[in-house]
Amino acid sequence: MKNSPARDRGISRRSWLLAGLTIPLFKLRATEQLSIRYDGDVIHVTAPSVHFLSGKSLERLKDGAAVAFVAQLDLLNESRVPVRQPQKARFVVSLDLWEDKFSVTQLGKTPRSVDRLSASAAELWCFEGLAMSTLGVPPDQYFWLRFEMRTGSPRDLEGDLPQGFNLRELIALLGRKKSEEIHWGPLETRMRLADLPRMQGRGMRG
Amino acid sequence: MKLAVVGCLVGGLLFAGTQDSDLNVNRRYTVDSVIVAGKGWRTNVSDSNDRLSNGLRKDLLALVGQKLNPRVLDNLGDRLKKEFDAREVTHHILRADTPDHVQVEFEIKPAGTNIHATLTKLLYSNKQGLSGGGMVGLTTHGNTFLVGLTSDGDTLNERFTGVHTRYENKRLGTDRLGVRFDFETYHEQWRGETLAALASTPGITSDAYRTRQNIQPVLTVALAKPLNLEVGASFERFGTQGPIANTETSNAVLASLRYHQRLVESDYPQDVDAAYSLRAATRMLGSDFAFASHTATLHYRVAHGRHKLTESVTLGGILRRAPLSDRFVAGNSYYLRGWNKFEIDPIGGNRIAHNTVDYRYGPFQAFYDAGSVWDSGQPVAVRHSVGVGVRESVFTLAVAFPMRSGHVEPIFMMGMIY
Repeated sequence: MKNSPARDRGISRRSWLLAGLTIPLFKLRATEQLSIRYDGDVIHVTAPSVHFLSGKSLERLKDGAAVAFVAQLDLLNESRVPVRQPQKARFVVSLDLWEDKFSVTQLGKTPRSVDRLSASAAELWCFEGLAMSTLGVPPDQYFWLRFEMRTGSPRDLEGDLPQGFNLRELIALLGRKKSEEIHWGPLETRMRLADLPRMQGRGMRG
Repeated sequence: MKLAVVGCLVGGLLFAGTQDSDLNVNRRYTVDSVIVAGKGWRTNVSDSNDRLSNGLRKDLLALVGQKLNPRVLDNLGDRLKKEFDAREVTHHILRADTPDHVQVEFEIKPAGTNIHATLTKLLYSNKQGLSGGGMVGLTTHGNTFLVGLTSDGDTLNERFTGVHTRYENKRLGTDRLGVRFDFETYHEQWRGETLAALASTPGITSDAYRTRQNIQPVLTVALAKPLNLEVGASFERFGTQGPIANTETSNAVLASLRYHQRLVESDYPQDVDAAYSLRAATRMLGSDFAFASHTATLHYRVAHGRHKLTESVTLGGILRRAPLSDRFVAGNSYYLRGWNKFEIDPIGGNRIAHNTVDYRYGPFQAFYDAGSVWDSGQPVAVRHSVGVGVRESVFTLAVAFPMRSGHVEPIFMMGMIY
């Protein structure tokens, strides 16, 4: 029996099959990459594959509940050791039941809010609110940028709510069954500041 | 140092708040209707129905016409869960038929199989030491099986340590009928003061016993919404002390009538709890003891904002000779707090009259106890005590002072009392 050309080149059918199966995985990996924008001072990320206003969190929003989300950005060196304090952003999202539009508040020292957004616009607005300063980061060194997101718990909102001695709330808080936490990520990308294209109209440092 | 760390941890937790609420865009909408739904049933709280207690129904109804407040919904969900003994209560907010109005729907998920643990008592008193008890249980399709351990040096003049098991079904075919079956087995420890008092006054009560077992089936009948009747029996056996092992029995019929009414309409919500219970041991049930113990209690509570005032009265009397575990005791964490029960009467009494006034502002508490425990035919010595502390739900931290001339030694109590 005559050998096939592939066999002549030392590539078995099994290898072809394996390669065929692996292609979609590479495609999936590619879609999970972070998209980074850099204006010379801070890094912004977007994760096109992350749609946190969908699935179970969307079901909760459609039930009229407000859902908290915590997004986190970490900068790690090549040994995966953090080189900066993690940047956290906390959002509370609710869905207007009559207008079918999302309302988002970013918590913090100076909270900011936006109304009447579509799901994709609300997600994008949240990503805009997550940024990491690059002050002191060597531009010619490689780093890993890691992004992850999850639904928040009441404890994540500490410090943003009115303070007061309230033992009743403590008992209620400890006694209440936690709603299921949903995670997205972590998504990582290896990057070097010097390689990142700069956004126009912002600082051109380094 | 340890205290500082615990303090910081607790302090940090105290400042934690709840999620949601103020940041929900749907707060602008008005509640049009409130629906409560369970397995196979659904009711609009605006319609009259007897599935919900009056107080809870009124609080749910109060949502209608108001702007949506998600924080209130969490609290009402917790109350529904407790009232229906449910596994979970969730709420959904939906568009109503009227523009800019929403409908609130509570969904009650009945308990399937559920394993739970309960702390029944945890109390430290500088006079009585540590008392504690806990139970673990399994609830499946309305049937609850519980098993627990107890070591209690507070409630009675004896320290009883042992096992308590219980089977309970709160809905025996109908919401109006429930059944409970308890089995307890304890080993007793006695203080010298009690043993000395028993030796000096023989015949008033039983001898000190080494062990105590009790089997107690009880049927609960909801006669009308605020009125419950319990009937049952108690088969108690005492293993006496001494070189010759002997047992004595105290077999009794039990009956209690309980009335609870909550008046929530005014700015001053009020609660009234009244109960009468009878324990009648009779030789017809093969009992060595034959006595009748009557107890009546009345609790009245009025609240206004963070102010709460509670008035509690207890009256009790035992006719004929009852075992030690049935006699009335004061000077514990319930009656005449601040007094030492072994100083008042180390074998208890067959009469009790007690009154408590308790004022709370938020978690802060001040109380005044007055009462007496005595034996019929003996002079009545009324005692008083005052105390201050912090109490939230079952957690209590208090210091109580007996009011008397001479040296006053306060009693410090800390723990969880149910």
